[in-house]
Amino acid sequence: MTQQRCSAGFRLAALAIPTVAALALTGCGGSSSSASDAENQEFSLTFATSNTVESPYEALAKQYMQEFPDVKITLNPQPNDSYDQVVRTQLQAGNASDVLVTSPGSASGRSILPLVEAGFLEPLSESAAALVPEGSEALFGPDGKVYGLAPEITVVGLVANDTASAAAGVGTFPEDFAGVLEQCGALAADNKSMFAVAGTAAPNTGLLGMQLAATRVYSKDPDWNDKRAAGEVTFAGTEGWQQALEAVVDLKDAGCFQKGAEGAGFDVVTKALVSGNSLAAFIPGPSNKQLKTTADDQDFEVRGLPSEGGAEDDFIYASANYAYSINAASKNKEAAETFLEWLAKPEQTKAFAEIDGALPVTGLEDYDFANSAYKNVADLIMDKKYTPLPNSKWSNAAVYDELGTGVQGLLTGQKTPAQVLEAMDAAWDQ
Amino acid sequence: MTVTSQSTGLQADEPANGPAPSTQSSGASRAGRPGRGSHQSSRRRWGLEFGHWWWALPGIALVFAVHYVATGIGGFFAFTNWSGIGSFEIVGFKNFEAIFSDPAKIHSLGNTLFFAFGSVLLGNILGLLLALGLNRVVKTRYALRTLFFMPVVLSPLATAYIWKFIFDFDGPINTLLNTIGAGHLAKPWLADPHWASWTVLVVLTWSSTGFAMVIFMAGLTSVPNEVEEAAAIDGANLWQRFQHVTLPALRPAVAIAMTLGIVQGLRVFDPIMALTSGGPAGATETLATEVYKQAFALGNFGGGAALALVLAVIILFFAVLQQRLTRSNPED
Repeated sequence: MTQQRCSAGFRLAALAIPTVAALALTGCGGSSSSASDAENQEFSLTFATSNTVESPYEALAKQYMQEFPDVKITLNPQPNDSYDQVVRTQLQAGNASDVLVTSPGSASGRSILPLVEAGFLEPLSESAAALVPEGSEALFGPDGKVYGLAPEITVVGLVANDTASAAAGVGTFPEDFAGVLEQCGALAADNKSMFAVAGTAAPNTGLLGMQLAATRVYSKDPDWNDKRAAGEVTFAGTEGWQQALEAVVDLKDAGCFQKGAEGAGFDVVTKALVSGNSLAAFIPGPSNKQLKTTADDQDFEVRGLPSEGGAEDDFIYASANYAYSINAASKNKEAAETFLEWLAKPEQTKAFAEIDGALPVTGLEDYDFANSAYKNVADLIMDKKYTPLPNSKWSNAAVYDELGTGVQGLLTGQKTPAQVLEAMDAAWDQ
Repeated sequence: MTVTSQSTGLQADEPANGPAPSTQSSGASRAGRPGRGSHQSSRRRWGLEFGHWWWALPGIALVFAVHYVATGIGGFFAFTNWSGIGSFEIVGFKNFEAIFSDPAKIHSLGNTLFFAFGSVLLGNILGLLLALGLNRVVKTRYALRTLFFMPVVLSPLATAYIWKFIFDFDGPINTLLNTIGAGHLAKPWLADPHWASWTVLVVLTWSSTGFAMVIFMAGLTSVPNEVEEAAAIDGANLWQRFQHVTLPALRPAVAIAMTLGIVQGLRVFDPIMALTSGGPAGATETLATEVYKQAFALGNFGGGAALALVLAVIILFFAVLQQRLTRSNPED
């Protein structure tokens, strides 16, 4: 052999061998994990995290592992921003965790109904069915089956900083909407604001829109969503929705939102609430717990947004917004189902709600409202003056996105209420 | 059979000869193996070429699968109503009709072109000025060149978040305006419907100027020094020298800078997503951000794929146009 052919051969081998080895190893790496935990009580759990506080999913999984030392749960936390996309991609690719956290309804990427339609979720047993809140059965699966285990009830209204309110001279929260507008003017003169809004975060502006619609649409017509699904009403054609979005403009003009609200993010809202520069925010009830860990000396409470007619007309949203579901393609279904049976027990749901700062899904009659952050909404809950979050029943995620970006457009003056409602109707039929 | 015809019977009866009849195998046969000269040429006829083809096959298959098949499948979904999971139906051109009848999508198309051409134009002009300034003379020019090129190599996402902080309502720019008494000019730069696009353009130009500068610096080395000096002696001033000597010699560099800049500018995604997420209320949405939003965030994969196809066609159009224009350059 010549010199050239020798070195050419070596060079080829030097390139080929590592490439082939790398390809072989990638092929091997993928299959090893599924083989090992087929026999044992091992499974994986994925959930979304928005901050560094230990989430109740993690806390309860650890408690389960302590109670049953044979079991090993692999935790796969994902950032909340990308949770929807990651879960969908994993389910599509077939490598999703055995247990995943989903949302009842059809509103977002992690919602139960579209995932069931695609065949990704496993129907659950009676213990999960018993936990479905009254009136929300359709959100948990078609044909009366239940595909999610709801561990808590999330109340969505306002979270107010009572300590800061008192310090700003707002001893009692305004009774009605006109009172709110009046109070806004007084606070704005003091360089404070009634509400902190994250204009760039569609979920926050969306919640603002929906809160205003609570007493203008849903308290008067609780079946509005079903009517919309049947095509009997439209967003643009419903006066209540028109009034709700005009109220956004009224709030803006009265100086109720902090300066630069249209460009603010969630961090601005948290900062404003904790520092007392804003008195309340349109965030889910459980946030009161997280705010309390940031600012121990302040009191955060959940309230309803005052209605135009005063306290008798108040209305709020309360529903199970998250649920444990089992992956239909899971190889550890028995272990996962045993875990979910354990979670369904009253001690566990109570513990979950306590860690998260939400209401327990069972035993609300015995709940100690007076000593909790929910004392101001106790009447609304006990008198059943609530309904599930509206967007969980909307046909797709684009409708809520149009509401969120539309409210931002109302804050900047780019859009009118009529335009936003028309866009929502167009998105519904997409 | 003789030793020389081990591989094929073709040249079996040819006399073994030292210098091979063809020049291709001259290297091997002149290396003193006269007996295997004809063996070499016979092997070469089908053995070696076949081997080349086999060796390239895995690579070709990988490129084909990742680039063309993946793109083709994405293009196929543009004609369906797939949501990203589950089943789908073929809906023909419905997605495209929805795109061209939606004013928001047309607006995002306009934004795409605005950001691409705006950042290329401004980036190239600034890059040219920087290249001219840092071409000779200035003592610290090497350090300055590095500094000006750094935005190109930094992560666009990371720098975009820093820019977002700078343009924040309570950020450095508004604080500065307030301290110098121009507080009335302070505004939420990235959330103002009129200013958001210009703010994003500033960030995009900032990231692309260094790249244009480097291309022009390379081009300036080909500008003949003697011609410039001759022009100076003949009485041409700075601007005339630039217009008649430097610029014509830079034309290939301008062509390259613009082609690369436009193709990159049309598909820019990270900075816009980080700065405004397409807001406020869709004012800074581009085709790329709309593709992401539709396909992945809103579960409208078919619509997103259709948008991606439209974007690909636009980029292809401008790339081909650029090639045509630069090829007809008489200096080449």
